[in-house]
Amino acid sequence: MVAALWVAGVLPLLTAAVLLALSRLPRRVPETAVFVISLASAAISLVAAVLVVWRRPSVDLPWVPGLGLRWQLGVDGISGPLLVLAAAVTVLAVLQVRTEPTKGGSPALHQACLAAVQGGAALTFLARDAVLFFVAFEIVLIPMWVLIAVFGDRSEPGRAKAAATTFVLYTVAGSTIMLTGIVGLVYAGGTADLARLSGSGIPAGQQTLLAAVLLLGLAVKVPLWPLHSWLPAAHTTAPTSGSMVLAAVLLKMGTYGVVRLVVGPLHEGFARLAPIVGTLAVIGILWAGLICLVERSLKRVIAYSSVAHMGVVMLALASGSALGLQAALYGNLAHGVISALLFAVVGGLKHRWHGDDLQLARPGARDLSPRLGLALVLGLAASLGVPALAGFWAEFLTVVAAWSPADGRSVGYFRVLAALAALGAVLGAAYALRVARLVWAGSDTGDAREPVAKWPDLHAAEWVVVSTLALAVVVLGVWPNGLMQLAAPVVRDLLGVAR
Amino acid sequence: MNLQAWPVQPGQLVVLVPAATAVLMVLLARRSNAVNFAIAILGALLGLGAAGLLAAQAARGPLPADLPTIGALPVGPGIAIPLRLHIDHIAVLVTGAVAIVSLTVQAFARWYLFHDPRYRQFAATVALFTAAMQLVVVSDDVLLTLVGWELMGWCSYLLIGHDSEREKARRAAYKAFLVTRFADAPFVVGIAALAVVAQTTSIRAIVQHWSALSGSLTLTAALICIICGVAGKSAQVPFQDWLPDAMEGPTPASALIHAATMVAAGTIVLARFAPLLAGNGTARLVLAISAGLSTVFAAALAFCQHDLKRLLAWSTVSQVGLMLLAIAALRPGVTPDLAVLHLLSHAAFKALLFLVVGWLAVLTGSTVVERLSGAVTDHPRTRRLVAAGLLALAGVPPTMGFVSKDLIVDEALRSAADRDAASVVAALALIIVVPLTAAYAMRAWLVLTHRTVSERYQELDVIDDSRSVREVGLAEMLREAEPVDAHGHALEPAPAPDPEPVDDSPRPPIPTRGLLWVLALVAVFGGVLILSPWLTVDYLHPNWWIVASALMAMAAAAILVRAMALRTVYGDAAARLPRYVRSVASRGLDLDRVYVALVATPVLALARVVARLDGAGERGVAALPGAAERFGRWSETKHRRTPTTGLVAVALGVLVIGLLGVTLW
Repeated sequence: MVAALWVAGVLPLLTAAVLLALSRLPRRVPETAVFVISLASAAISLVAAVLVVWRRPSVDLPWVPGLGLRWQLGVDGISGPLLVLAAAVTVLAVLQVRTEPTKGGSPALHQACLAAVQGGAALTFLARDAVLFFVAFEIVLIPMWVLIAVFGDRSEPGRAKAAATTFVLYTVAGSTIMLTGIVGLVYAGGTADLARLSGSGIPAGQQTLLAAVLLLGLAVKVPLWPLHSWLPAAHTTAPTSGSMVLAAVLLKMGTYGVVRLVVGPLHEGFARLAPIVGTLAVIGILWAGLICLVERSLKRVIAYSSVAHMGVVMLALASGSALGLQAALYGNLAHGVISALLFAVVGGLKHRWHGDDLQLARPGARDLSPRLGLALVLGLAASLGVPALAGFWAEFLTVVAAWSPADGRSVGYFRVLAALAALGAVLGAAYALRVARLVWAGSDTGDAREPVAKWPDLHAAEWVVVSTLALAVVVLGVWPNGLMQLAAPVVRDLLGVAR
Repeated sequence: MNLQAWPVQPGQLVVLVPAATAVLMVLLARRSNAVNFAIAILGALLGLGAAGLLAAQAARGPLPADLPTIGALPVGPGIAIPLRLHIDHIAVLVTGAVAIVSLTVQAFARWYLFHDPRYRQFAATVALFTAAMQLVVVSDDVLLTLVGWELMGWCSYLLIGHDSEREKARRAAYKAFLVTRFADAPFVVGIAALAVVAQTTSIRAIVQHWSALSGSLTLTAALICIICGVAGKSAQVPFQDWLPDAMEGPTPASALIHAATMVAAGTIVLARFAPLLAGNGTARLVLAISAGLSTVFAAALAFCQHDLKRLLAWSTVSQVGLMLLAIAALRPGVTPDLAVLHLLSHAAFKALLFLVVGWLAVLTGSTVVERLSGAVTDHPRTRRLVAAGLLALAGVPPTMGFVSKDLIVDEALRSAADRDAASVVAALALIIVVPLTAAYAMRAWLVLTHRTVSERYQELDVIDDSRSVREVGLAEMLREAEPVDAHGHALEPAPAPDPEPVDDSPRPPIPTRGLLWVLALVAVFGGVLILSPWLTVDYLHPNWWIVASALMAMAAAAILVRAMALRTVYGDAAARLPRYVRSVASRGLDLDRVYVALVATPVLALARVVARLDGAGERGVAALPGAAERFGRWSETKHRRTPTTGLVAVALGVLVIGLLGVTLW
């Protein structure tokens, strides 16, 4: 079973290296070969990830003995689902690349980037060592940068490059701050082992300082308002597969980092900063929700909705109770699936429309392309928190958690935040249905003189991608127990040990 | 057969069956309407069967009160989320009503939407809607209630926006969802507040826990929050305006939403919290004011509507107001069974009325007064059905509407005699609304049965003929005229009169009409339900003075309406009102504009400001790399490529500090 661990973590990185080498070959490699290699790698690592979550193997080897760093890999109930999610979304993203012709670079490079992102994410979720966690975290940024800069939207000259530069500089700045925090945490805790860090008994004053530094760094990755400015541009320019991976893999790593590095080891410090985190989260929910009401670009609407949803997750984390942590973990995962679905659909629409301006009158997607329409309306419904779909549970449980925050937090203040978050859910409905009204039902008033341009429905690989994600959205919505059972013991440990 | 031993209990089946039907329809019936209809009707029948089994179980003995669903959520020590169902006698009755209405609607929709390209989506949504309502009815967990509650909101969005080619339908659906969702924000906070203190989401546990704290301010606030959510879904003041607009949906959808599901769900939810409400005068007063205003206001508007479907919509607002008034007037220790009884009677007559009006609309082409005037006279098949529905709506004895409404009036007046503020408000509203209801029901009846319509058509024919008369010479006319005898009678034998004209106007198939007749019979004779042991209703000691005076008031209102309708072109009593009043009332007093001005416009303005701020922030961030690059270039231009004295000073300083450090270590 240890082999599965290695496969899940390292195989994608090897694949990325092979594909990168192929893309540098003087002779052009057949596209199908690239596709088969990358799909096989992603699928094998998905199977390996499932095996890892099921059998829970672990590896512990010396890495840099001089610094006491160890190559420690393993999963628990929190990282396991995220590991599977990352692998599964990568499989779908690989399929998605097949449906949208790659522009700007070779398909091999494109697939290499996806594989590298997956490898980095998998190692991040597998890492049991704080420094290894950081290294894996950083691996992801470069391929993502390439995805945006090389394969991004070229409708406006220079936009893709600018968005990619902003993305990489902003997140690297966040990483630098995070590294400072991690070094401080490892120094203060006396170990880099994430499991042992939780019980290391760092004094409260230091905890607050470390938590502040770590949160500042991680807030860029989550992203938490007001450090979200890199996200909309990155999402809008990234190719569809890039957006899917960005939303479903990269953003998950930020919240995962908050849970692993801050909520667990720095419990008291986090409690002191919780009101600030909660406030920023709620401002983010309302801020992003308001922007979505007037934003003209469809992809940016979905990107901003991500900011709002991550706000909900951060508010749940800030509440500090077991319920809050469960709501946050569930919301994190649900957001991964929902936004991957929405980006797949919206990316497909943008491809078909040759743009994503919402103000152009168009016939309804529900009539012109029923599958696309169904997937879109399902994704929007899930995003606004309709029950029996993935988004519902986290949303309601977050309100309950914020209404009864853990000890050491001001109850009255958190109740105000809970009420505001409930109002944010109304905004969520308003913008999701705005999109539904314009795109799904159609904004065509029927008096346009030009005959409407038709667009094809989902087919073949694209339909597989979208329907898999849609199925996941429904399953997560109807049966939340499985994941919550998986996470429950870890949640108890994380909060219990610290108390 | 031993029901208790079944792996899945009827209480779970009433929810599962319609939900599974909806899923099956989405998965299986991709092309064929007929297959889809088969699944829909089979599912609805099985759903009714499940409700029937539940009733059989209830009749035979103790109900399996506590049923699991997907298992408790493991969310830590602070709160328990058991997610269980609770079946009581109210649930048994209401699930039955929902199942019957749902079956009728499915059967009717197949006929009504026969050529509709979206029939399949419609039928699937109706099934899902039914499942959601059944879940609210049998739920013993605020979280499950919320699941059903929000799911109904979503289904109503889909049903109202069914004809999404039309901008009006798109807007109505958007408005309906947003208004109810807005009201749900306090609802969510309210149930969260109740659950957090009780440390569980089980409704019975919450009620038990909070009963001991009946004076608490938190409880009052939480109950008012819940009432707010109920007012949203049930379209009570100040959220009433979405419901008449929701008439953009197809008629079967209206029948479902109004009669047995979403709009009535508020009554069920409040009935579950009735023990807490009964002990809390403030919350009841808020409820009484909202429901009282709604019931009177909506009844008055119903009288003025130009579109009979909107008349029915406003009447729903008014009737649901009655149910909520019954809860507002509750005294401690009294069960909310009266409200539930009125819910059942309303479900029967309102579903019936909507479906028959839909039928008439198919025949006449529209639901406005001009088109529907005399429709019942022209199509006598609908006569008895309409009569049953309107009599029950007006509350004429001995219909079920009379029984349930009169008992509510009786109860409210008794409570009002105890000087209970909420009950006084409720009683006042009831006294006004009883004759008003009779008035608008009478108006609808007079319009539908108007007799002079055929004369109007003859007039029109005469006008048309006069335009096509040819110039005819007298001599030619004499030559061509038929021979007559001395008395002017034709010599030729008169041709045999035409056989009786066959009424071959479109009509729903016989089983569907049978179901309509079932609803009609329930609406008329359902009052006998008060005799059942499942409802604790005090029907033995009515105050006959109240009954008699209510009947007198109704009769007076009806006679007045009859007098007003005399000599009007369409038999419409409202035609006597000033045109301005009618037009404003038809637009719901223009409250839509108030919503837009008070909420939509400011929020959008704020959104634009925020978007501009965010855009500025994003541009600022995006400009940073460029600025850094420029700064780098600029600093390089200052560099003269020679070591400066300043650098020597810095190097020396570093050396000195280093030496100091080493020596002092």
